Amino acid sequence: MQANSLLQSYLVDSNTWDEMYSDASVRQQYQKVLSFLQQLSIEELNKKEELAKRLFMSQGITFTVYSSGEGIEKIFPFDIIPRIITAGEWSFIEKGIKQRLKALNLFLKDIYSNQFIIKDGVIPAQMIYSCPHYLREMHNFQVPYDIYVHISGIDLIRDSDGSFYILEDNLRTPSGVSYMLENREITKRLFPDLLPKNNVRSVTEYPNILHKNLVSLSPKQTYNPTIVLLTPGIYNSAYFEHSTLARLMGVELVEGKDLVVDNHKVYMKTTAGLQQVDVIYRRVDDEYLDPLVFDPNSLLGVAGIMSAYRKGNVAIVNAAGNGVADDKAIYTFVPAMIRYYLNEEPILKNVPTYQLAKEEELEHVFKNIERMVIKKTNESGGYGMLMGNAATEKEIILYKKEVLKNPREFIAQPIISLSSCPCYMNGTLKPRRIDLRPYALCGPGGIEIVPGGLTRVALKEGSLIVNSSQGGGSKDTWVLAD
Amino acid sequence: MLSRVADSLYWMSRYMERADGILRMLKINYASSQDDIQEFSWKPVLKIFTFLKDEEATALASNTRNVLQFMVTDKENPNSVLNIVTQARENGRSVQDHITKEMWQCLNDFYHNIRQENLIDKLQKEDPISVLDTLIKQGLLYFGTTDVTMARGEGNSFINIGKFLERAIQSADILDIKFSDLNYDLDKPTDTTYWKYLLMSISGYELYLKTYRSGLGAKNVMEQILLNETFPRSVIYSINQLHRYFERLKNEKNISGFNQIDFMIGKVKSKVKFSTPDSIINEGMHHFLIEIKTALFEVGRTLNQNYFAQS
Repeated sequence: MQANSLLQSYLVDSNTWDEMYSDASVRQQYQKVLSFLQQLSIEELNKKEELAKRLFMSQGITFTVYSSGEGIEKIFPFDIIPRIITAGEWSFIEKGIKQRLKALNLFLKDIYSNQFIIKDGVIPAQMIYSCPHYLREMHNFQVPYDIYVHISGIDLIRDSDGSFYILEDNLRTPSGVSYMLENREITKRLFPDLLPKNNVRSVTEYPNILHKNLVSLSPKQTYNPTIVLLTPGIYNSAYFEHSTLARLMGVELVEGKDLVVDNHKVYMKTTAGLQQVDVIYRRVDDEYLDPLVFDPNSLLGVAGIMSAYRKGNVAIVNAAGNGVADDKAIYTFVPAMIRYYLNEEPILKNVPTYQLAKEEELEHVFKNIERMVIKKTNESGGYGMLMGNAATEKEIILYKKEVLKNPREFIAQPIISLSSCPCYMNGTLKPRRIDLRPYALCGPGGIEIVPGGLTRVALKEGSLIVNSSQGGGSKDTWVLAD
Repeated sequence: MLSRVADSLYWMSRYMERADGILRMLKINYASSQDDIQEFSWKPVLKIFTFLKDEEATALASNTRNVLQFMVTDKENPNSVLNIVTQARENGRSVQDHITKEMWQCLNDFYHNIRQENLIDKLQKEDPISVLDTLIKQGLLYFGTTDVTMARGEGNSFINIGKFLERAIQSADILDIKFSDLNYDLDKPTDTTYWKYLLMSISGYELYLKTYRSGLGAKNVMEQILLNETFPRSVIYSINQLHRYFERLKNEKNISGFNQIDFMIGKVKSKVKFSTPDSIINEGMHHFLIEIKTALFEVGRTLNQNYFAQS
């Protein structure tokens, strides 16, 4: 088989930004990779795909699905073709995320103390107090260095004109960073020399930066504080990530049952007795963190940990209560926050969002309903949602009736198409839709973003859903140096 | 080190040692099942390594291939190599940040290999020795990798404590059950191939030939497996190593717990060290072995209390 057959069936959907092609010519950043791939035979490419699977399996980069009483190991599908971001695109993204995070951090500090943003009428108080992730327990408590969001995984997508939009701010316990690191390691094995030849920036600093930030948060100013990573345990689907990060940072991986609170201090149970813990990077959600304060049935957390936190005896990363800032309804206000706190215009755009409670917006949405997606503000995971381009006329009429009963509970957004990127499928390249999640780390020294991220890809033809639960996979994400 | 981590390392190691013991035992017993010896039966193996009732063991023991499958790949048998390796790997999985990446990959590969569907077929239809050899090598890879890559800290001590405690108990068990076949009568005339296969199953045959020139006899076999300090599978060697690695745990912070276990290991060590084949025969071999095993179980229990306890 000759190499050019690789591109034979690469047909970009109309009205879609393709990362590799522009007007039937290959973008410069993909040229080297593509000509390299074209030199390989299909057998060689298939072998590489096989090798990737084997490496994931053998390293245990897997999640376990439990069925009929026994666990089956699955790998998160990996596509061998890298996604490439140019230096120019990256510096724009980087600036935009830094600006957004700065504003979100100020918002969290404000909302848990003086609440100027409510008093000045920028965000209605009702929006805040109706949010289930708003924690009164965080009120009037100064977190170290006023940092709430130490780690964020903000999701970006690209519309048909190639411009970036923020899809979601993940400010609680964003996951997936181990795939950013492992996917790169796999690429090194699959394509020797390809990374240096393309001038790809390294992502390996991530654990070092994170560790440096964790050290700096310690209430005790010693050079060697005790840092732990709190995991829900080996049955959590992200357990591999927790153990990888703990290993790469050289910190202790603990479960709730390894910790105990005494006199507002957190200790871990060791073979030599109790040892005080200074910093906790927790991958347990707020609601399970402390059975005395939140869900009393939680076995994943540690009783009394919130009181130790409020006393300043232990630092918790990310801060509790961040959910109020990445809430779907609050999302609409982030551009306003950026203007209010920073007096700047937002660099990265929000997907336009219509509040159906406002009459003129409601009218606009109904008029253009075939290009809209309507969502309920208090539901997630794709429930209670209407995709205007896919719904039948009858469904639309019924849904409109629902909306009119209580328009406050609904928002609408234009359907954004997501950019496409080549994926290796049975001997040819096919365009598939992707998003991008860069990981930003915020410490006392400022915000740092490792050049890279997680590119999730919808492997099903025509699908816009990149979630792993819906047939999504991932790609190595290259950021090129200048 | 976290108590939970120490606990997992210790059990990971015990399970790997047990898997190794089972696989060697199966291999040599299979070989001897192919030889013409009168005393051969699978029952001792089933008694050492499973909780089967006597009649169940008898029923299963008549079919070599079924025994192999039950001991290697049976999902329902909690003591099958499959389940034991799974346990070792689950323990390793929960302490990945305390073992080296190479060790984790060994455990993980072993786990995936032993779960391959075609293994059952191979055990039924092909040469079982080849299958068992592949698995034994996988285990050896783990032991070697551990030795070469693991830092000599507290974690390594717990790994070795688990390993040698398990080995000491296993060797005592093997002796007890093999000799119970003879009613502990060391003068009863037996087929020498019986002893040859026993020694081979614990890699002790060549050493035996070099130590004793006068042919195979029950008393010498017993002496080597219990008292030979240079034989890595002997009870005394295992207890010496157990003591050696345990002493490294000495730490100001847990001194009373340490002293308690140090005393227990020292006591059982002296008991074995200052015995001779004749004194053991006088005391009664079964009685002697039960006493050793009880003391070793007690060490395990007290370790659990003083080092792994999770309230």
